[in-house]
Amino acid sequence: MHVTAVIPTERVMADFEIYLEKLRLFSSLLRAEGIQIGPNETADACRILLMLGFEDRDIVKTALRTVFAKSRRDQLCFDRVFDSFFLSEEMLRAIDQKRLESNMARTEAIEQANRELAGTNLESLFYSEAQKEAYSQLSEEEKQRLRRVRDRFLGDEIRNPDLYANMIHSIFARSIMEQQMLMEDAALGRASVDPEMGMIYRDISEFEDSDIPKAVLYIQQLAARINGELTRKRKRSGKTGMIDFRRTIRKGLETGGMLFRISYRRKRQRRRQFVILCDVSGSMIRFSEFVLRFIQLLTEAVSNTRVFLFSEEMMEADAFQLQNMDRFREYVRESGVYGRGTHLGRALKKINDQKPPVLSSGSTLLIISDAKTVEQDHAVREVLRARAKAGRVFWLNPIPQRKWKYLKSSQTMEEICTMISCSTLSELGSACRRLAAGASGQ
Amino acid sequence: MDLVTLKQKFEEEKYICDDHLVTVLYVALQLGRPLLIEGAAGVGKTEIAKVMADALGRDLVRLQCYEGLDESKSLYEWNYQKQLLSIQINMGKTNEEELTRSLFSDEYLLERPLLRSIRSKKPVVLLIDEIDKSDEEFEAFLLELLSDHQVSIPEIGTIRAESIPFVVLTSNRARPISDALRRRCAYLYIEYPEPEKELRILRAKVPGVDERLAVQIVSAVHGFRDNEAILKKPSIAETLDWASALQALGVRDLTQEILKDTVGFVLKNNEDIETVLNSVNACCGDDETGDRYACHCGHSHGESHG
Repeated sequence: MHVTAVIPTERVMADFEIYLEKLRLFSSLLRAEGIQIGPNETADACRILLMLGFEDRDIVKTALRTVFAKSRRDQLCFDRVFDSFFLSEEMLRAIDQKRLESNMARTEAIEQANRELAGTNLESLFYSEAQKEAYSQLSEEEKQRLRRVRDRFLGDEIRNPDLYANMIHSIFARSIMEQQMLMEDAALGRASVDPEMGMIYRDISEFEDSDIPKAVLYIQQLAARINGELTRKRKRSGKTGMIDFRRTIRKGLETGGMLFRISYRRKRQRRRQFVILCDVSGSMIRFSEFVLRFIQLLTEAVSNTRVFLFSEEMMEADAFQLQNMDRFREYVRESGVYGRGTHLGRALKKINDQKPPVLSSGSTLLIISDAKTVEQDHAVREVLRARAKAGRVFWLNPIPQRKWKYLKSSQTMEEICTMISCSTLSELGSACRRLAAGASGQ
Repeated sequence: MDLVTLKQKFEEEKYICDDHLVTVLYVALQLGRPLLIEGAAGVGKTEIAKVMADALGRDLVRLQCYEGLDESKSLYEWNYQKQLLSIQINMGKTNEEELTRSLFSDEYLLERPLLRSIRSKKPVVLLIDEIDKSDEEFEAFLLELLSDHQVSIPEIGTIRAESIPFVVLTSNRARPISDALRRRCAYLYIEYPEPEKELRILRAKVPGVDERLAVQIVSAVHGFRDNEAILKKPSIAETLDWASALQALGVRDLTQEILKDTVGFVLKNNEDIETVLNSVNACCGDDETGDRYACHCGHSHGESHG
């Protein structure tokens, strides 16, 4: 193992100033990546680097990671930032080379697009460099289709492509964003997979049929664990808090008036009512097995629950059917609402208008949906109404949080209620634990 | 103590570790920060605290966490019954104020691990094991101790640490640990070891194990870990158990039959055992020769299948 070599003091101090400045920049980069770093961590990093020196890159990396990264996720993020910040000379050369190649490829793509667009009727649609670059990435078939559409309707007063330029641009932008989303997926898939935990950190939508029994087993184990935790919390050993004099004196009578055993007052638990509104439309089919299990898990943990299922229509699930998973699954599939389109506004309106009222200040509304609904404005209005009636509104979204920025529907709903991502079994478990504990008044 | 000495000490204790682990321990030790260790069950988290205590020549104080653990079990408790008896015996004999004062003295204080660790004259290694099993309230209660090395007892006041313990917290990630606690700790994540490292651990911990068998065991265990259908991955502890069991049975070669008979030592979940047995039957079902073991279902076929 390499340990600091003896170096003249002036040089060390000069180097140290440079590295301190680098460390400050590095800390701010880590903060930008979402790692929480306070002055204590930075001070610790300085102290440890003074002790260990800067010569051995691996030791510096491990020491800084120990100080800055406080979880597995932080570690993965730290590694990425460190490797791109503290570069070795070979890496710098490789990056320069890559940048040069990428610039050449970009220039080439723009020139090619200029050549192809020259003299065609598409020039007015692709005027900026970014658009030309994107055009060059289209397949030949797509390029031809664009030309055909423009040829067919050019000069048509009603369907003139120039009138629809904005729409074409928005479709184009959306397709680029979708591509970006896929690329991010691919990169994250490599970076964030935790080999030991594997399945529970994987996107539920990527599960294969063979994974489902294991995932269901995991959810069952989770349910048992959460129920155990809640029961344990309700029956706390309680050697703290206010003394319950009545019970203490009563117990003292058994020992001739000596107060050998002291009783403490227990906090009265106020149970919240849960109203679950679950989307069982076509876009949620992939998640349905897990969502139904999840609902069952919640109803086991929290007794005071009402479950509503919706797609284009809405119905209330029978509490008796919820007790058996197979029966519940069949019941949902035969209900007539399963696998159709989504109309959240209509479903919520029914709940909001129902007499006697379903929602009250002591209830928590839990919406389980991917937020893809028709008449979104209507849905937003009804969510706001529900929020005014219910004590709390939570939204469980099976779409990963990193994709919400690409989806307008998710963005809108996130602004008006607490949205929790439940795209993986791990997230589903955390959400359930949080909700069940909240419902028990803890 | 420097890095090289610390590594030597670990080697003397037969704890096979790499430079990365030693650096993390050194950083935590030098900064006086508690060390939070996460990782799957059985990868050697608790062992680190034990070896660290031996390496530093300190006593190990252990607090095993569980649901419902509170300060009366972890920090201190007044010996209430003894106090009552003392009141009855000394009633009328002693001055009232003096009696009250004496009731809240060390004589009636039952020290629990946390208090013992900070009142010890010599610094100790404090192991707070499986912190994820305790309640969130207990985590919050630990914050004062971990950041300021002091605890507050209402009847006595604030007790400052007489010596600063080296604190090791372990977690299996059964539930997320709060950010407040994480912020106060240095962090280490232990992954399952690489095959070469696991082989070295196996040789060190199960002396006399047949070299070929050791390689087969490690290869099979890594196969199980790579198999996503196996929910509870086998850890190093299970590898060692399996090796010891096979050694006790006098096995020198890991065949399919032996695997079927002894897989319970390495996989502790019925569904996982069935998955492995089904995979073995599916890919080696027609092969009744009892060939040497290993393929993608967690085993190697040896020379016969390549």
